[in-house]
Amino acid sequence: MELAQLKSLEADPQLVLARFSPCGKWLLGASYDARVRRWEATADDWAEKPSIDGHGGWVTALAFAAAGERLYSGDSWGQLRCSNYAAAEKPAPLWSVPAAHDGWLREIAVSPDGARIATCGIDKRIRVWAAADGAKQLDFALGDGPAFVPRNGSLDGDAACLRFTADGKSLIVADLKGQIELWELDGLKRGRKFDAGVLFKYDRLQDVGGVRCLAVDAGFQWLAVGGTIPKNGGSVTGVPTALVFDFATGELKHTLSFGQTTDCYVSDLAFHPRGFLVATTCGTPGSGQLIVHKPGDKEPLFSTKKMANCQSVALHPDGERLAVVATNSGSNGNGRPLTKDGAYVTNRSPVVIWKLPA
Amino acid sequence: MRRCSRLLDLRLLAACALAFVQSLGGLAAPAAAADLPLHQRIDALIEARFQAPVASGPVAGGPVAGGPASDLTTDAEFLRRVSLDLIGRIPRADETRAFLADNSEGKRGQAIDRLLASPEHPARMADFLHVMLMERQGDAPEWRKYLTDSVAANKPWDKMVRDMIHADPADEAVRGAAFFFTKRLENYGQNPVDVPGMVRDVGRLFLGVDVQCSQCHDHLFVKDYTQDYYQGLFAFVGQAQIRRDVKFPALAETPLKKKVEFTSVFVKEPRVIGPKLPGGQEFDVPEMKPDEQFAVPPDRKTNFPGVPKFSTLKLLAEQLPTAENRAFARNMANRLWWFAMGRGLVHPLDLHHSDNPPSHPEVLDLLTAEFTAHQFDIRWLLGELTRTRVYQRSSRLPEGVAPDSVPEDSYRTALEKPLSSEQWTASVAEAAGVAAYERQAAEGWEKLRERFAKAFANPPKEPETEFAPSVKAALFLMNDSAVLGWFQPANGNLAERLAAIPEPDRAVDELYLAVLSRMPDAEERAEAVQMLAKHADKRPAALSRLAWALLTSTEFGVNH
Amino acid sequence: MTSPQLCRPWEHAWSRRRFLGTAAAATAAATAGLSGGLSDGLSGGGAAGLGPWLNPAIAGQVEQKRKQVVFIWLDGGMSQLESWDPKPGTLFGGPFRAIPTSVPGVHVSELLPKSARQMHHLAVVRSICTKDNSHSAGVARIQRGDPKNRGVTYPYFGSAVAKLLGPGPNNLPPYVWIKPGSGGFIHQDAGFLGPKFGALAFGDGKPPENMLRPESLTDADDDERNALRAAANRRYANRRRPTVNDASSYVYDTARTLMKRQDLFDTSKFDPKDVERYGTHELGRHMLQARKMLEAGVTFVKVNSYGWDTHGDNFNGHLSLACRFDQPFAALIEDLAAREMLDHTLVIAMSEFGRTPRINGHVGRDHWPEAWSVAMAGCGLKRGAVIGETNDVGTWVKSPEFDIGHLFHTWFRCLGIDSKKVEYDNRGQPLPLAHDDCQVIQDVLA
Repeated sequence: MELAQLKSLEADPQLVLARFSPCGKWLLGASYDARVRRWEATADDWAEKPSIDGHGGWVTALAFAAAGERLYSGDSWGQLRCSNYAAAEKPAPLWSVPAAHDGWLREIAVSPDGARIATCGIDKRIRVWAAADGAKQLDFALGDGPAFVPRNGSLDGDAACLRFTADGKSLIVADLKGQIELWELDGLKRGRKFDAGVLFKYDRLQDVGGVRCLAVDAGFQWLAVGGTIPKNGGSVTGVPTALVFDFATGELKHTLSFGQTTDCYVSDLAFHPRGFLVATTCGTPGSGQLIVHKPGDKEPLFSTKKMANCQSVALHPDGERLAVVATNSGSNGNGRPLTKDGAYVTNRSPVVIWKLPA
Repeated sequence: MRRCSRLLDLRLLAACALAFVQSLGGLAAPAAAADLPLHQRIDALIEARFQAPVASGPVAGGPVAGGPASDLTTDAEFLRRVSLDLIGRIPRADETRAFLADNSEGKRGQAIDRLLASPEHPARMADFLHVMLMERQGDAPEWRKYLTDSVAANKPWDKMVRDMIHADPADEAVRGAAFFFTKRLENYGQNPVDVPGMVRDVGRLFLGVDVQCSQCHDHLFVKDYTQDYYQGLFAFVGQAQIRRDVKFPALAETPLKKKVEFTSVFVKEPRVIGPKLPGGQEFDVPEMKPDEQFAVPPDRKTNFPGVPKFSTLKLLAEQLPTAENRAFARNMANRLWWFAMGRGLVHPLDLHHSDNPPSHPEVLDLLTAEFTAHQFDIRWLLGELTRTRVYQRSSRLPEGVAPDSVPEDSYRTALEKPLSSEQWTASVAEAAGVAAYERQAAEGWEKLRERFAKAFANPPKEPETEFAPSVKAALFLMNDSAVLGWFQPANGNLAERLAAIPEPDRAVDELYLAVLSRMPDAEERAEAVQMLAKHADKRPAALSRLAWALLTSTEFGVNH
Repeated sequence: MTSPQLCRPWEHAWSRRRFLGTAAAATAAATAGLSGGLSDGLSGGGAAGLGPWLNPAIAGQVEQKRKQVVFIWLDGGMSQLESWDPKPGTLFGGPFRAIPTSVPGVHVSELLPKSARQMHHLAVVRSICTKDNSHSAGVARIQRGDPKNRGVTYPYFGSAVAKLLGPGPNNLPPYVWIKPGSGGFIHQDAGFLGPKFGALAFGDGKPPENMLRPESLTDADDDERNALRAAANRRYANRRRPTVNDASSYVYDTARTLMKRQDLFDTSKFDPKDVERYGTHELGRHMLQARKMLEAGVTFVKVNSYGWDTHGDNFNGHLSLACRFDQPFAALIEDLAAREMLDHTLVIAMSEFGRTPRINGHVGRDHWPEAWSVAMAGCGLKRGAVIGETNDVGTWVKSPEFDIGHLFHTWFRCLGIDSKKVEYDNRGQPLPLAHDDCQVIQDVLA
């Protein structure tokens, strides 16, 4: 398989991630400067439109309702917002919850019927909200319930990823210790477990790794999680790894290694409707790949190292395009890098659009 | 600044004084003394300085302070010192007794020759060379065998260094020498291979030049050390790799295709350099097409790395250990002086440069020239050094002289030298009378040395050149049950020997002879006898405590 | 937005030094002549008690109350932006928020919630600008105070304090280092002061090996054998240079004292409430042990933690690292204050540098000596104070810059030593205690 590069957009400062809207007309980017940036994905020039403002810290999570042009966005200061992402001018919030979490909101999931959204944050809470108005419906922690066994360190229950199941009745929750569990929301009952403990290591004082991204295929046959098999903390290194579980049984079916220890994290994962996984990796500055891999295959269908430090990958709903958030080269260095004018050098995120073969 | 000018004044003064003394004809000038044995010429030069004016008040350095010198050692002190130095252990009680009883004129010289010829000498020198060259980074049987065999055959130092740089892997007798580089080419714990450290070690250990700070720029404070000191050495050894296709230590080399490029962090001007010894000639790098670079091509099937046509290691082996390369001879002459005297003529040992001149340039020149003229014969030089009066002087200060007024580099009083962990092992075992017993099981002896090393050796990469007592070592001698056990009567050890001597004073004499390698003086004997009388019912235990006290005393713990 | 500093302060320093090169080299030559064996400055005799440690010039300067130091070293470089100098909502601010502290108007990163409640005891300097951005040189350079090069190796702060204040009346080693990994006697820290002033390191908080005397040996036996050893050493010392014998005798005295203080190492006997408050992780255990060492009278306790070099995944890294510093640090400050020990105990928490404002592609921060923070408390420092400031995006220091030399002068002042008057005596070579061109940071003194 050969992918072709179509276009490269530039975001300054960096982006945490980017996502295509379900209608396919917009590419939205979650930025380090508290904005959600908007590019039109319809025309060739990918014109940028006024951003969605009002967040704090970093915008860290983006999710959409399947219909209705609703964007749910979360930030590292704990705010959850709902906006009309397709507004022509600067979108005003439809509603917002300023303190949805006490601090960094990690991810947002939308129920299949679009009625509810779920969030998790570093306050170790998992919360479910009414999609219509942001009213809180449910509030629990991974540490709740009789089956809870404290693990290493003090950050137990730091959920990083979550998804609704196909029936919308349960949440798949993955945490930074490499544990994945199903939670039935009615009565808060624990369900099936998936063991991704290899993605975690306690090194000296540091919790390293954990589940960093999660994807399920359309038919809920596969659950894939990404992260690293950590070697050490500090300047984290480890082999970027995706684990693919049989969703029905919880059995680990495939362990996919996506590079060397310097490549470090699988930063994002998506299932293509045609059954293959699309992944990005990000490690030591300069490293990083876009990889297309069919679970069960020995070799990837496609991989490229053309982009440095890929932070996220977004699949366009048409299945023909994808967008990778990367980082400029030379993004690191000790001491003070200055421009010719004596200004301190900042980093940027090239957003690279790729075309998949039919 | 203050300090600096004072020193310079003193140096000037010393030079004048020396010139004055020589002009009077009070001492034979070195040239005139050329037919004398080296040890006499050394003493003449060192002692000429004793005539320099006596400084008033404490002098904290400089070779210039004249003044009284200490007496020569007693026979017992001499035998202990030279045994520790040349065979790595204290003398046994019977050896000391025999030496003290010997009334012949040349017995010190005879003892030196006997020790140098002893089968224990190669093992001792292998220990010394190993610690100096590997700095506790690791060990390997092939390497040890190479060092021991080389010392036993009295292989000249230039040939040894040539082996270490470019050993023929087909020659089993020398190939272990490659360990000097192969160990340094391994990962160090979790750290990657420290190539700059390896380049630095070649400079430090073979040339006495620490090029570390010259890696990125000309050395800031040592004007002699320019950046090409580092980069030129790097061009020689930067291609070295471990051979993975053989089990023994062996080096592979990738071809050096062009000169090494570098820039200074200060002056951002790119420069190139070919292989070049510090201060030496730069070599060109021949241009070759890729398919012409190997004399023997690599073989992927067997993992054989190939042999390049232009081997920089071979070139280094030809260029570094030579009579023409004065730094090479001077470095080892200085290190052997340090080995014998406890301090380098240039000190620290790896900082030879014009702003750190030798305390006695005339002595270092002489040693360098003679070591070269004698084909880098280490054994011969040790024989000469140990014959000098400067070596045989007592570590006790002259009567009525304050410690501060005798600078270390005046050599008017001998310096106390630290014991290596290997000297500790052998000496404690010898003192306790268990050495022969413990050595029977060869594996047991190695384990024993490892346990002592844990307590007494420096951490890896820390040169063992200074005296560094440790709480760890004190706790080891205080509480290690195996060591304490050696002082319980068994297997003909010291404790058993003492138990068989009914007279307390004779037992005390034997104890002092065994542990401190000398007879006790009257006060020491009386005190010990009194102590034994107090514990008459438990004499073996009392003797064991007495032995321990002597073993843990400073007198035992240094080569004084 | 960014300061247009084309010229870098460290380049000035280098060029200044290059200018001084000739003079420095001449001094190096002089010193090389001196540094053969042990350097000290001791007035002979045994090592017990305060006497032999104190240079008479300094003895008068040490105030009556015995000063102590606890030095917390976060090896690899804690991020100032994720700790003492947060810049939330700015270009390089990262994802975290700032939180109020017990001092109105002062904010710290939300990753230090417990320390924020102890802010009224702390003095934080936010205007540190140092010269070295590499670990290999930086760690030693900072801990030696980066003085002017005079061709000698300066002591680490712990060795300097061991030399200047001595071991105290209890004969415990004056410089103790509680560290992860292996322990031992780290004589290299002492530089030209000589091995006697090195650190006794407790690897993983555990005592050295061979701490237990064989049961067959009674107290009386042990006393007797050591008295015999001391007598032998007295005889040996007659007409010999004192340094070797002093140092050899000293390690035995220290070893014997340690053997009597097993309680300092037996973590099973620590109060479970304390263990909970300080944290069951490594740094928590070691900080609690540090408090016990201080209570036992150790002059200088260094505690360190490795793994702060977050070039990658900096924010998740600091999320777990910072809280494991925050918890025991806050507990230690609280306990020292409650025991009225803070008046005479200097607390310092720092790294070899801070971390870059710009966030690299591995979502990490690199080494940044240009503008970072140090947290301190006690012993004559202001309480509840923030000194100095960085610009609004945290790239450069806006107020006057302080180098490590300024901190050294300040610390010596806190310990009652005038570092502009007292000098080391390196066997005749007078050497200043800290960088000649730096001064005490007056603003941080109470």
